[in-house]
Amino acid sequence: MRGFSFIFKQFSRSVLLIAGFAFLGSPAFAQGDAVKGEAIFKAKCTSCHKIDQVVVGPALGPQLDEEKDDKFLVKWIQNNQALIAAKDPKATAILAKYNGAAMTSFTDLSDADATNIITYVRTTWKTMQNPPDGGKTPGQPAAESGPSSLVIFALIGVIVLAFIIILVLNKVIGTLERLVLNNKALIIEEPATEGVAVDRLAIAKKLLKNKKLVFFLLVIGALATGSWTWVTLWNTNVHTGYQPVQPIKFPHDLHAGAMKIDCQYCHSGAYKSKNASIPSLNVCMNCHKVIDRALNAKEASPEIAKIYDAIGFDSKTKSYDSTKSRPIQWVRIHNLPDLAYFNHSQHVKVAGLKCQTCHGQVQEMKEVYQASPLTMKWCIQCHKRTQVDGKNPYYANLEQVHKLLSEHKPVTAAIMGGIECGKCHY
Amino acid sequence: MDSNKKYWKGLEELNKTPEFVEKNKHEFAEPIPIEDVLSGGGLEGRTPRRDFLKALGFGVGAVTLAACQKVPVHKSLPYIIKPEEITPGVANYYTSTYEGHAILVKTREGRPIKIEGNPNDLLSKGGVSAQAQASVLDLYDVNRLKNPLKDGADASWSDIDDVILRALIDIKAAGKKIRIVSSTISSPSTLGVIADFITAYPTAKHIVYDAVSYTGILQANQNSFGKAVLPHYNFDKADVIVSFGADFLGTWISPTEFTSQYVQNRNNKSLQSKKMSRHIQFETGLSLTGSNADVRIPVKPSEEGIALVALYNAISGTTLPGTKKLTNDVADKAIAIVAKELLAAKGKALVVAGSNDVASQILVNAINAKLGSYGTTIDLDNPSHQYAGNDAGFVEFVNEMNRSEVDAVFFLNSNPAYDYYSSKDIASGLKKVKLKVSFANYSDETASLCDIIAPGHYYLESWGDDNAIEGYYTILQPAINPVYDSRQAEHSLLIWSDNAVKDYYKYVRNTWDKSLLAKGGLSGQKGWETLLQTGFVKEAPKAAGTYTFNYDLNAVAQKVLDHSNLLADGGKVELQIFQSVALRDGKRANNPWLQELPDPVSKVTWDNFAAVSPADMKKWGYVDGDVVKVEANGYSVNLPVLSQPGQAQGTISVAVGYGRTAVGPVGINVGQNAFPFHSLRNGTFQTAATAVLTATGDNSPLAQTQTHHSIEGRNSVIKEATFKEYLKDPWNGTGKTKEHKDYNENNLFWQEYDHPQYNWVMAIDLNACTGCGACVVACNAENNVPVVGKDEVRRRREMHWIRIDRYYSFNDNGDGGITKESEIARLNNLDNVKVVYQPMMCQHCEHAPCETVCPVLATVHSSEGLNHMAYNRCIGTRYCANNCPYKVRRFNWFNYWNDSRFDNYLNNEHTQLVLNPDVVTRFRGVMEKCSMCVQRIQAGKLKAKIEKRQLKDGDVKVACQQTCPANAIVFGNANDKNSEVSKALASERTYYVLEELNVQPGVGYQVKVRNINELEA
Repeated sequence: MRGFSFIFKQFSRSVLLIAGFAFLGSPAFAQGDAVKGEAIFKAKCTSCHKIDQVVVGPALGPQLDEEKDDKFLVKWIQNNQALIAAKDPKATAILAKYNGAAMTSFTDLSDADATNIITYVRTTWKTMQNPPDGGKTPGQPAAESGPSSLVIFALIGVIVLAFIIILVLNKVIGTLERLVLNNKALIIEEPATEGVAVDRLAIAKKLLKNKKLVFFLLVIGALATGSWTWVTLWNTNVHTGYQPVQPIKFPHDLHAGAMKIDCQYCHSGAYKSKNASIPSLNVCMNCHKVIDRALNAKEASPEIAKIYDAIGFDSKTKSYDSTKSRPIQWVRIHNLPDLAYFNHSQHVKVAGLKCQTCHGQVQEMKEVYQASPLTMKWCIQCHKRTQVDGKNPYYANLEQVHKLLSEHKPVTAAIMGGIECGKCHY
Repeated sequence: MDSNKKYWKGLEELNKTPEFVEKNKHEFAEPIPIEDVLSGGGLEGRTPRRDFLKALGFGVGAVTLAACQKVPVHKSLPYIIKPEEITPGVANYYTSTYEGHAILVKTREGRPIKIEGNPNDLLSKGGVSAQAQASVLDLYDVNRLKNPLKDGADASWSDIDDVILRALIDIKAAGKKIRIVSSTISSPSTLGVIADFITAYPTAKHIVYDAVSYTGILQANQNSFGKAVLPHYNFDKADVIVSFGADFLGTWISPTEFTSQYVQNRNNKSLQSKKMSRHIQFETGLSLTGSNADVRIPVKPSEEGIALVALYNAISGTTLPGTKKLTNDVADKAIAIVAKELLAAKGKALVVAGSNDVASQILVNAINAKLGSYGTTIDLDNPSHQYAGNDAGFVEFVNEMNRSEVDAVFFLNSNPAYDYYSSKDIASGLKKVKLKVSFANYSDETASLCDIIAPGHYYLESWGDDNAIEGYYTILQPAINPVYDSRQAEHSLLIWSDNAVKDYYKYVRNTWDKSLLAKGGLSGQKGWETLLQTGFVKEAPKAAGTYTFNYDLNAVAQKVLDHSNLLADGGKVELQIFQSVALRDGKRANNPWLQELPDPVSKVTWDNFAAVSPADMKKWGYVDGDVVKVEANGYSVNLPVLSQPGQAQGTISVAVGYGRTAVGPVGINVGQNAFPFHSLRNGTFQTAATAVLTATGDNSPLAQTQTHHSIEGRNSVIKEATFKEYLKDPWNGTGKTKEHKDYNENNLFWQEYDHPQYNWVMAIDLNACTGCGACVVACNAENNVPVVGKDEVRRRREMHWIRIDRYYSFNDNGDGGITKESEIARLNNLDNVKVVYQPMMCQHCEHAPCETVCPVLATVHSSEGLNHMAYNRCIGTRYCANNCPYKVRRFNWFNYWNDSRFDNYLNNEHTQLVLNPDVVTRFRGVMEKCSMCVQRIQAGKLKAKIEKRQLKDGDVKVACQQTCPANAIVFGNANDKNSEVSKALASERTYYVLEELNVQPGVGYQVKVRNINELEA
């Protein structure tokens, strides 16, 4: 706690300093600096407030529309508890309105800071209500900017019509030309089609009589069918690329890629258990209690709403109702058969493998698919080339490891018995 | 010195019955119908070709279709809110209690899947009985009651509470009697709840009734020493143990604990310090304990009393009035010698008797007092609370009911309509009771006579505590939320007595906070949490005082002899009633693991029977499986007979625990109920009677596992020595001297394997193994071994990965025993047999014969000395089973876990939750066998790797080793010369079964040693 408050003070001091300079440069007291306000707002307020939406505390935009008295607001921001204690009528009214939920006091914010915040909120709220590109309401732009389906259909219709016209016109031109040529009696009779057909068949027959060629073709055919069968059989029940439709379109590229969340934050079992485990919903809620939409999105994400649905969370009242909760039925992607024992911790914790070794570039996948074939051949190939961590004190007493290491030979998982049947099948 | 002693597994093998010889000729128990196919219409004619083409076409089509299958959609459901302590895929262990033993419950994703011993358990040091191992399966029994019942219809708890509260208030106002009938309760909290109930309803009384009663001992101690307690026996402190029919290793009082004590003076460690206890058993039927005794003398139940009187006389040097000479010469001689030995071991001797007769037990007390056993081998100051049933008290309750004096009765863990000798009195009495409530989990015999069944939680769902031995308090904590809509019985009683504390958890907390935590030096919340982690608290035991016996023995002797006379009546057959090791009193009759656990001695599964001595079989003209009508005490049942070597002539033995009529489909109508053979005499239930046998002409073959494999007359399977021989030459009996005979010197065939990392091996001490069968059930639970049912066992298709082979041999009477097979024929004394138990599982041979014959390389050798079995590669030729000299490979004839024909096992999704998720279930048509718990080896190695440390000896414990109360099985790495297993295998007694085949087994056995001396000379 102390560490935190220390950092907090340091931070707020620098903010104060900046704010102080800003104040010097600013023309009027009530006119704060929105940019500085934004910095403070993001640092201190966003854990409870949003401008256009109720989070823990009220939505500040509409709130500040109602309350124009900036002096009161500054005091409220700095120390709302004192106002309440002093029985300020406005303060008690707010407290009553929000069921007595107290707001944290920020006594270290100067008047200028608070004003900056207010300015930032006001200006942002204004731009939110009146977007610069004219009176469009926030929900529609995506739908209107693209071509509508009607337009597409119309275009296709026009193209098809044009083709038909071209065809008809061509026909007409052809007929007309023939008429003209007929008239001029210049028409050259087309050669008899039968004759040509006989010729062609004769070539085919001639070729068929060439036994070497037939043999050659047969061999090619057999080889093609055989290799096709071979490949098909080997790939039976190999589901590389399997990408089922999941109940939630969970973007790994966003979480693991853009946001750089460690895999084990959610798949915490990978380090200590055979199961990497799909995170339980309470893990999702660690972040998604606050984040209900994409960055800068206007509307709450329907996918995140599915989490709320499943855990029984009401995003308006911010309350849980466990009677409404039900588990999310994910579809398993990596279906290792029951007869093979696989342990994540063995590979992740002991061998230090990256998740991507088997699961592919998950941080780039919009939705996860099976990247590796998960066949026994694939397992064994890896066991044959992967070396064990000879420095692990576990191996300290195993003479074989010493011997190999002293001879500068690789100590692979396979040498340690990693390709024996009973190591995985029991 | 190679012994030529002959061993045999069953009488069919001994006598070479034509059937046995015929069956043994074949590779497989059931011949392959190859001749049928080849002869006659077989492959000739056109039809087979067409059929073949049809089948081929269908096959190709089916395979094509199967190959076209899309990716199967498996749903994966994560927790909504994951409990902090659960990591999917990692087991959690919780301390708990089973019958007073501290245990650990292994749970996976919140499901209990295995019971393991708490290594610090005071009673059995981490050993767990077969029953405890099997108990986890009952949790998932779909036949348990799913909600409360009122008059046979589903009801809600509030309805039931309403009805019962109103009725109780009326009864209280009317001043009529209320009775709570339970089996012995040793839980301080439960006893507190009942005491509070009685305070709320002063007309209530707690009746303690045990199906198998120890009232005789309690009463005898009351009479002899003024303390009605069950003493705590210390078999580990006894050098000479003499037991009269007490099966203390199998069923008597606390067998798991006693096994752990008993082997301490007989195991390898003890032998190496040149010390071995001596154990003499007088008994009727061959019990587990008798089969482990150094000397066993078969006596009729009627002779037991006379023998006790004779022993008292011999020890005290007096002659009690009415003393009779034993007509049984051997027993008579034995008594004299035993008396001498006991006196020589004064202060380190122990005499126990299994009888529930007060007079007999007083006599035993007198003998023990003379031997100075009190304060040493018998502890009356730290008594056992495991049994406190009062027979007379229960009989009085039945009479009260029949006199219409009782208005309300509650049955708690008690089922007298099944296990009371006169169940018709229960039925008639209950009709006169207004309010009848049962807390049973099943609609059992008694519960179905009750108006209301308020099903209690299963013990794995319950809070509670236990106090098996004075000063040793264990905690019972739930390992899973209640599966069904049940409510803990104590909770119900708290509600119905309107207790100030209505929540039983709080009640237990209070009990511990008030007094019990302090006994372990704990207090407060922290103390409670410590308790939940350790599982128990124990006080320093009180000093065991010596007690002087002071009681008039003349009348006692008279009573004992009267009883003997009554049993010896007119030379009728004497009937002995005993508990089977697997089912005990029948409470767990619906457990298929226990039903399929072969009885250690008879090797019979799924049935009870009348054990008859081979001589009597011949005399009466019976063959095995003949159904006879057994009539005694006005009750009769039809039972198949079994020729049981060692059975006293003129007697039969019948096990209780069978013949349940109202329990789940597994236990129902398996065998016949033998409880009604009991009688009440001198205030206690008697376990012996006189019986009349009449043949019915039917034959019902028993499902015995004993002769499923033949040892083909090889005599290098079992090796034994006497203690004297062992002292002279520790290598005695192993067939080798200090120099190890090398069968591998001329090896031409076998590939040698390196074991650069580990070499997993096992050592089994035949002298410590008592044959109890706990390992078999532990293996079932750990390795998802299927249950096959009676019919399949009869077809020799049992699936147990570990079996306990029981070998008989004749007493060698000092002449070196029987050495030639021809000599067996002229032997007629089958009463006097010796028994050796040998746990047998895959031996993980270095030169494995199974590996060389597998056409698809499904079974191969590992670099760690294991013989791996890849199920998914196996095509089921069964060549390996055929080529295995130890006959330990098992073939899956069916999908036992998913086939409606095997209804008694896992054929529903609910029961399948008991499966160990780390071990695959095997498919029809593949071979399986002991894997040396390879999943545990792998897990142990992984744990060491994760913790970045070397693998320590003892990190990996296999399931059979872990559960063994006798510590007879040691497993470990032979490359580590300091490991327990290396030390055990370095013992002089070590030998390998069928060593001369040069298959180089990985499992070493240690020679059985018997402490035989002049008694038999």
